[in-house]
Amino acid sequence: MMRLAVLALALTATAASAGVEEAVSAHVLPATQGFADAAEALEEAADTDCTADAVRPAWNDAFDAWLGLSHLRFGPLEEDSRALTIAFWPDTRGMTPRALGGLVADEDPVIESAEGFAEVSVAARGLYAMERLLYSEDYAGYGAEDYVCGLVRAEARDLARSAALIAEDWAAFAMTVRDAGNEGNDTFLSERESRQAFYTALVTGLDFVADQRLGRPLGSFDDPRPDLAETQLSGRALRNVTLSLEALQDLAATLGSESAPETGAAFDAALGTANSVASADLSGVSDPMQRVQVEALQQEVRDIRHAVSNEIGTALGVSEGFNATDGD
Amino acid sequence: MIRTTTALAALLAASPALADKAAVLTTYADIAHAGYEDSLTSAKALQSAVDALIAEPSAETLAAAKDAWLEARVPYQQTEVFRFGNPIVDDWEGKVNAWPLDEGLIDYVDAGYAGGENRYAGLNVVANESFELSGEDVDASEITPELLSDTLHEADGVEANVATGYHAIEFLLWGQDLNGTEDGAGERPWTDYAAGEECTNGHCDRRGEYLSAATDLLVSELEWMTGQWAEGGDARTNVTESPDQGIVAMLTGMGSLSYGEQAGERMKLGVMLNDPEEEHDCFSDNTHNSHFYDGLGIHNVYNGRYVRVDGSVVEGESLSDLVAEADESVDAELSRNLDHTVLQLAKLKAAAEAGFAYDEMLARGNSDGEALIMAAVDGLVTQTRSIERAVSALGLDDIGFEGSDSLDDPNAVFQ
Repeated sequence: MMRLAVLALALTATAASAGVEEAVSAHVLPATQGFADAAEALEEAADTDCTADAVRPAWNDAFDAWLGLSHLRFGPLEEDSRALTIAFWPDTRGMTPRALGGLVADEDPVIESAEGFAEVSVAARGLYAMERLLYSEDYAGYGAEDYVCGLVRAEARDLARSAALIAEDWAAFAMTVRDAGNEGNDTFLSERESRQAFYTALVTGLDFVADQRLGRPLGSFDDPRPDLAETQLSGRALRNVTLSLEALQDLAATLGSESAPETGAAFDAALGTANSVASADLSGVSDPMQRVQVEALQQEVRDIRHAVSNEIGTALGVSEGFNATDGD
Repeated sequence: MIRTTTALAALLAASPALADKAAVLTTYADIAHAGYEDSLTSAKALQSAVDALIAEPSAETLAAAKDAWLEARVPYQQTEVFRFGNPIVDDWEGKVNAWPLDEGLIDYVDAGYAGGENRYAGLNVVANESFELSGEDVDASEITPELLSDTLHEADGVEANVATGYHAIEFLLWGQDLNGTEDGAGERPWTDYAAGEECTNGHCDRRGEYLSAATDLLVSELEWMTGQWAEGGDARTNVTESPDQGIVAMLTGMGSLSYGEQAGERMKLGVMLNDPEEEHDCFSDNTHNSHFYDGLGIHNVYNGRYVRVDGSVVEGESLSDLVAEADESVDAELSRNLDHTVLQLAKLKAAAEAGFAYDEMLARGNSDGEALIMAAVDGLVTQTRSIERAVSALGLDDIGFEGSDSLDDPNAVFQ
């Protein structure tokens, strides 16, 4: 009887660590490699031709790839504030237009070297700064000889560098995760701690979709704010919601368990609703009929979170840890 | 038989542990009460200094009011650790310490000032006796505490519309810091409060009315919060009535302030943006002290010891004692990490006080400044991991699971 209990414990532990192992090998590593490849392709595209029309497709591909890992806010993405540098949003105080405006007005030579550009404010770097250069009317029609073109090239080079470092570091960090609880591992003192890191990333990612990606444009019924939607200039706010939900679904599936029917159904429901929202830029929040759909989608994302904590959190034996958005 | 023994052992183990928790929570509530009471006392001193400035505007009375503000920040910042984890504090905090703010809502600002997404970032209530706000006509001919708290604060649903609290008062005393990442704080002339022809930048009487109303509000808010932590107060009752929830509140406050708020929002972001406006006390250049006393507040709560503004000490059984009982190595690690962070924050404070201002540290390419700030950030991040370990060591993860079906419950752990 006693022995049976020990055996049961051992089985539980194996199943749980298998979840983390699968998350690393089937979710994280492909996503980081995919982003590194897409960012490298973006750098090549900008090197070949840095004008807006030529760079936009590769920028969109890189953005898509980023959404596959943007929720992994621990380890290599937090190292040197890489996630913040790649994705400085929301920009509530208008820092990105101001910082870019400063660089362009001064024709700041800091863009000439990768090391120099790495010192620049994160508001002027990353995918969202690049979106502004490629899509904003402020810079429309810039030519191959203009400063802005050189800035676009510097942005792409900077992104490719960060993406390559993330992929490289994750290859090593994967060992740290697998090695959780062993002597000399100061990052994860137990397997439980590595499970908690992934679990926290999952629920924080869901919160980000509900509160920021959907919550900001929704505003209130009396005062919808379509102008606060993510990537408003390129009009891909809805695509961001869909791709991040798919990435989170993928993480949830690797982490958790065959026995998470409620979670699977909740993801399917939300993705189905996202698929039926008509406005790609979420500007439909201002239209009462379309707004209902976006509100429903937000609720369904919150429902996923409930399901995840009941099914996956419990199975992993962890609660949510502290995360970077705990402040105000 | 085995079951009986185990159950009995659990019961025996549980009783003293429960008693410990109650004592630890009493210390916690006592420190909170003392901290808010000290904040109140020093806010009243600020109020007297502001009255003197308005009655007899001069360089001296303005300087005295600034000194009083700086002193008032010392106890208040040490209470920030009570914010996250205690809904009563968190729901209220925005009235007294909201930040960052679009100061153009309140008074005149430099022409180069931009407010981002905020439609009312340039409202300038001091200069305008009436205006439209979110479609409503507002009569601001008299600047009262009610106008500030009920109409202007968070106007248009924008959190950057900060009309009340320490930072609004700070702006009214110092003015904008236009030195960028160079040395120097805001340089508001005392004549901004002068009567008649001496008045600079217009509407000096209304500016005085605003300052006075904002300071009165601060005092009344702190009076209210002190009461919440007194014997029978709601905040005290909330943490003491359910010991496990109370301990979780303590740890949540420590962890959320350490990581998301201080390390992230307040410190790392400023470095990454190279932006002097990302300073927490940007008008007065007092940011190093804000950071230091936040860190000290976390240290106080864990060690169950607070030195009051009059030098007397509030102390008692501590969270450290409780964690040590559960797992000595976790307590040793967390204690060591908290000490380390306070030391890193002290180094930052020392450098700033010696003349290396916080906004200079934020300048692009200033690697010495970045190293000072990031050493403190790393300390805060590391101690957060130890706080999570303390949660596990105390067996409090389950509280999170109980809360998982009611995520809207503000008491649920680690939302």
